[in-house]
Amino acid sequence: MNASVTARRLPIISLQDVRFSYEGGIEALKGVSLSVARGENVAVVGGNGSGKTTLAKHLNGLLKPSSGRVLVGGEDSSKTSVAMLARTVGYVFQNPDYQLFCTSVEEEVRFGPKNMGFGRDDESALAERALKLMDISHLREQSPVSLSLGDRRKIAIASVLATSPIVLILDEPTTGLDSVESAQLMATLDVLRSEGMTVVLITHDMRLVAQHMDRVVVMSEGSVALDAGVEEAFSDPDRLRRCKLLAPPITVLAQRLQAQGVLPKGAATPLQLVELVARVRGERQ
Amino acid sequence: MLSRAASLRWSRTMASGTENEEALDDELDQPDGAGFVPPIIVARYGVLTALTAAVTFATFIYFAPTKGYFNMGDSMVFFCAFAFGWRAGAICGGVGSAVADVLLGAGFFAPYTFLAKGSEGLVAGVIGRLNGGSKLAKVLGVSAGGTCMVVTYLLCEVFLLNVGWGAALAEAPGNVIQVIVGGTVGTLLAWYVKRVYPSSGAL
Amino acid sequence: MTRFKDLYTEADTFLHRLDPRVKMASVLLLSLLALIMSALAYLLVLLTFIFVLLLLARSSYRKTAFAMKFVLRFMALIAILWPLFDPSGTPVLIRLGPVVITEPGIWRGLASAVRVGCLATVWYILIFTTSQRDLVRGLVKLGLRFDFGLALAIALRYFPTFGTVMESIIDAQRSRGMEFEKGNMFVRARKYVAVLGPAIVSALKTADMLALALQSRAYGARRNRTYLRELKMRPSDYVALVTVLAMFIVPTVAKYAFSVPI
Repeated sequence: MNASVTARRLPIISLQDVRFSYEGGIEALKGVSLSVARGENVAVVGGNGSGKTTLAKHLNGLLKPSSGRVLVGGEDSSKTSVAMLARTVGYVFQNPDYQLFCTSVEEEVRFGPKNMGFGRDDESALAERALKLMDISHLREQSPVSLSLGDRRKIAIASVLATSPIVLILDEPTTGLDSVESAQLMATLDVLRSEGMTVVLITHDMRLVAQHMDRVVVMSEGSVALDAGVEEAFSDPDRLRRCKLLAPPITVLAQRLQAQGVLPKGAATPLQLVELVARVRGERQ
Repeated sequence: MLSRAASLRWSRTMASGTENEEALDDELDQPDGAGFVPPIIVARYGVLTALTAAVTFATFIYFAPTKGYFNMGDSMVFFCAFAFGWRAGAICGGVGSAVADVLLGAGFFAPYTFLAKGSEGLVAGVIGRLNGGSKLAKVLGVSAGGTCMVVTYLLCEVFLLNVGWGAALAEAPGNVIQVIVGGTVGTLLAWYVKRVYPSSGAL
Repeated sequence: MTRFKDLYTEADTFLHRLDPRVKMASVLLLSLLALIMSALAYLLVLLTFIFVLLLLARSSYRKTAFAMKFVLRFMALIAILWPLFDPSGTPVLIRLGPVVITEPGIWRGLASAVRVGCLATVWYILIFTTSQRDLVRGLVKLGLRFDFGLALAIALRYFPTFGTVMESIIDAQRSRGMEFEKGNMFVRARKYVAVLGPAIVSALKTADMLALALQSRAYGARRNRTYLRELKMRPSDYVALVTVLAMFIVPTVAKYAFSVPI
């Protein structure tokens, strides 16, 4: 029991004082230290240009740090190819159209495992599992380009899942989706989380963070401004605003209710608010 | 205020927005030259020209001594020619490659590139779409178009740029390889786009 | 992402203020001049003149180095290979079987290399100092049909966009384990289908949207469209044009009418 707990908490990714400058000389990361443990769910949030995508591209070696170290599964990313790191870390890009190029969904999902040299049988098994997980088995014959954005996103995620990564990075997976599609997608992610997948979610949407994530890393001007549990991260609205972020409406509501003395402190996520209200009602009855 | 004739012409331009080749021919064949190229053609040609330039720019690998790079630009020239016809091949291929030359720091090559790649796209577009764009037509199109490109470069370098046969011939083998690689990839791309994005009207 | 930048930099020099049509004419005339001249000394003078102009256009060291990167290799190649293919003239310096190297051959090779240097750099007088908008506007004023000009403007506008798109697609495919560095040239080229395919589809989608935007802004409503900012030749533009014309005509007449060895 103890051993498995330690294994779970071992960092799968760790960044040590990572600095990175683009060719033009703009320093996008100014000394970021961070570690992600196996099975964790981390949201990386921040305004536009805060460095969150640059950070994410370091997690699978697409960008190599100018100074500092990135360890992925214990290996230094500067000394390992992206293709090798892709076995550990799957990266789903914001725009699925930049990723999908095959003429059928099934081919698309098999593309990753094929690149990584899994045998034919494993390839089929992995593709099958990914299709099922994302609930798109019925689309396998179709051409990805002709499907809806929501479906294309799912295909993009499935095609990355098929490489059986330990960590899944999602860059703004809900942009452009309607609320139903978005909720569906997040529900699927919850299933993945419950199966032990480490998820790193890059997003603007604080409601998603409040509802689905455990830990928040707030990026601001190339540094980690805050790294805390969801509850703590949302507790100080002023600090969030300084990082160009707004707390989700549900948290704001809870905070106003607290300010009015209607509710006691301690609700940052929808679930906590429900529990709190239920408790207060229980006490009053 | 629009004159009646102008507004008629306008509505016709709008209506022909989704037509392709034939519509363009009609528009350009107006005796008074009053026709406009339909908006979809303007947009498509502009965008394909940009992409040809971007592909040339982004995929260069040091190779031929003359321009100092090997690139996938030819695959875009052949793609434009096969998917959208000789006109697209000549304009998007020629102008796009020339723009890339300027941006890559080989601006003096731009006029010759325009001639070489433009003729490559034109010839490949005419021959490669014969017989409904059969395999044989594509192979002939790539060979004939590619020959045009290599020979145009050679002649321009020797007679217009006056660089001497030595430097001109040194480049030719690299160009031949570019044609073979570009022709293969361009053909695959035309087939791919026709299959996954049929509404684009690509053949 | 930073690689796809515009070569034009905003500044307020006389070259920036010059009418784009005058700059185009000058580039053309100076290029012809370089092709007409064959004496090394005069070609060097022309090359120096071009560099002075670039200096006056306040082009940075980095940009000029970029402009020279490719042409320097080409110039070296010409200077080395020319004498091998040009056995005319005396004195003969080396005779090695069929290869004859003469002193005039070497000089002609050097002249040819400098000529290519002139042709390569003269472009940047125009490109470094003229915005895309002025470039297209100048071409339209010179008689390019405005719908063609519009297509060209779209092309220049979307070049950096598609450059970034290509980089994103390459990143996305690498993240799925694709290795572009592996294999021979054909294997590598084949892999680019996975990049060019999505790039083309996204470009064609952009084109469809652009066509709608053009229509909704009344593209083609009038034959002779008007412009907010008309190009107009100023006295200084005429002065520049006449100067360059003289620079072209005097040596040309001297060479062909009076057989001066220029």
